[in-house]
Amino acid sequence: MAFINLQNVTYKYPLTKGPVLQNINLQVREGEFVSVIGPNGAGKSTLCYALAGFVPHFFKGEFSGEIEVDGKQSSKSTLDEWVLNVGLAFQNPFNQISGAKYTVFEELAFGLENIGVPRDEMKVRVEEAMALTGISDLADRSPYSLSGGQQQRVALTSILVMRPRLLVLDEPTSQMDPIGTREVFGVVRRMAEQGMTVVMVEHKMEWIAEFADRVIALKEGQILMEGRPNEVLTSDLLTENGFGVSRYTSTAREAKKRGLWRKDHLPVTLDEAVEGFKK
Amino acid sequence: MHERLSFHIQRDSFLHRLNPLTKLVLTLALILIAFTFPWYWTPHILVLIAIIPLSIVGKVFREFSLTALRLIIPAAGFLFLMQAFFQPIGEDVIFKFYFLDITSESLMFAFRNAMRVFVMVSAFTLFLVTTHPSELMSDLTRRGLPGQFAYVIISTLQILPQMQAKAQTIISAQRSRGLDTESSFFKRAGSLIPLIGPLVFGSLVEVEERAIAIEARGFTSRHVKTSLHEIPDSAFDQFLRWALLALIIVSIGLNLWPS
Repeated sequence: MAFINLQNVTYKYPLTKGPVLQNINLQVREGEFVSVIGPNGAGKSTLCYALAGFVPHFFKGEFSGEIEVDGKQSSKSTLDEWVLNVGLAFQNPFNQISGAKYTVFEELAFGLENIGVPRDEMKVRVEEAMALTGISDLADRSPYSLSGGQQQRVALTSILVMRPRLLVLDEPTSQMDPIGTREVFGVVRRMAEQGMTVVMVEHKMEWIAEFADRVIALKEGQILMEGRPNEVLTSDLLTENGFGVSRYTSTAREAKKRGLWRKDHLPVTLDEAVEGFKK
Repeated sequence: MHERLSFHIQRDSFLHRLNPLTKLVLTLALILIAFTFPWYWTPHILVLIAIIPLSIVGKVFREFSLTALRLIIPAAGFLFLMQAFFQPIGEDVIFKFYFLDITSESLMFAFRNAMRVFVMVSAFTLFLVTTHPSELMSDLTRRGLPGQFAYVIISTLQILPQMQAKAQTIISAQRSRGLDTESSFFKRAGSLIPLIGPLVFGSLVEVEERAIAIEARGFTSRHVKTSLHEIPDSAFDQFLRWALLALIIVSIGLNLWPS
């Protein structure tokens, strides 16, 4: 029995013309780290909102199909129950700051206050989460005084501290430098190994290849392709459909045309590329 | 940047350690007594025996006097002049200015009203300066104030400076593309129109995202909320609240008593 189970999910926002998600069928097992890629308007964020219960509970619109997480059906649940199991962090960190708190520490405790976690446990959990994402030194700063990348870490931490069973991330590293991005992928990977299921929308192919278990390519609201990162991210189908690929993949593809790449598989990461060209 | 977004000044004082609700009741008591206690010199005495001593006890006397000089005294002074000139009471004219008379009665009347306003604004100032807004809201939420209401108050206090900063960014961006912000008043007023779209619509989109973000963190959860900060509420706090409440009732009672 899959941990996440999407059956024929079709959804149209109240003001859009066509459906944004069309007949999505998807199964994810517990503790799996799934990455979602796709061009703008492919429905990636909508898929995140659907998993996190905001589609259709918050956005209304026309919804059909069934979303099941941990054996519970989204349509039969209410949003405030659903978010206890499913955490969502999205792209713009500025809008994820509650605005009701004066320090990062308080900001991280906001969610725990809402769900009634006792004070002592709250402090322990906030400190643990801050250590995990490497923001302990920001505890007393005002969340508004931080840089975009730091705010994104705070947004991610504010969800991790709630200990959801399913973590849904919509471009959580868009404002981070390469080092920050790598650290976040590392943290997410560790969470997955501890049994948290992760669905993460990302564009950074090298990191996806290194850390994710599976990639889902979304186009125009439909699943174009899914499979192991190396298979999906180097597939010709992706390039034909206007997906971006990593620079190592495109370099090796050019090299292959000229007979300079002799391996069967194309690389996604720098290490794979170096390895392949050495031969 | 905007590290300090409230009037609150962090000090360690008796007044800071009082429960937020106690301070709120104290503020209301000062105001209501100043306005209702049927003795002419009440607000004047309150300034001497309550407002000034409280600002010293709260270790904010310097900040309070600055605010009083810059803001409260000019406002109360203006009110005093208006009432002294335009209150058509009394016979004993002591000063004439064209058609305006100042009588000793209108002078006394204006003096008292100005002092009442002084007490009111001062009491609120002391309250805001010595009370952390999130502590006040946690305390009121714990006592049954809806969480949504508390959130609206607190987040507005924080988000206003952010909106200001954003408006400034939009103006700069549009100036760099040739928007005129330095010529005549009407031209400048007209040039503000392109600012409204991005600011207002941008803010509406932000509100939706923020709603999702706080909802994702259990904002509408039906669990009983807890609070990170422990908010002091001693037996003395409770005693003080009841005593102040009694004073308010006595004051209003005496005011309504047919004399």
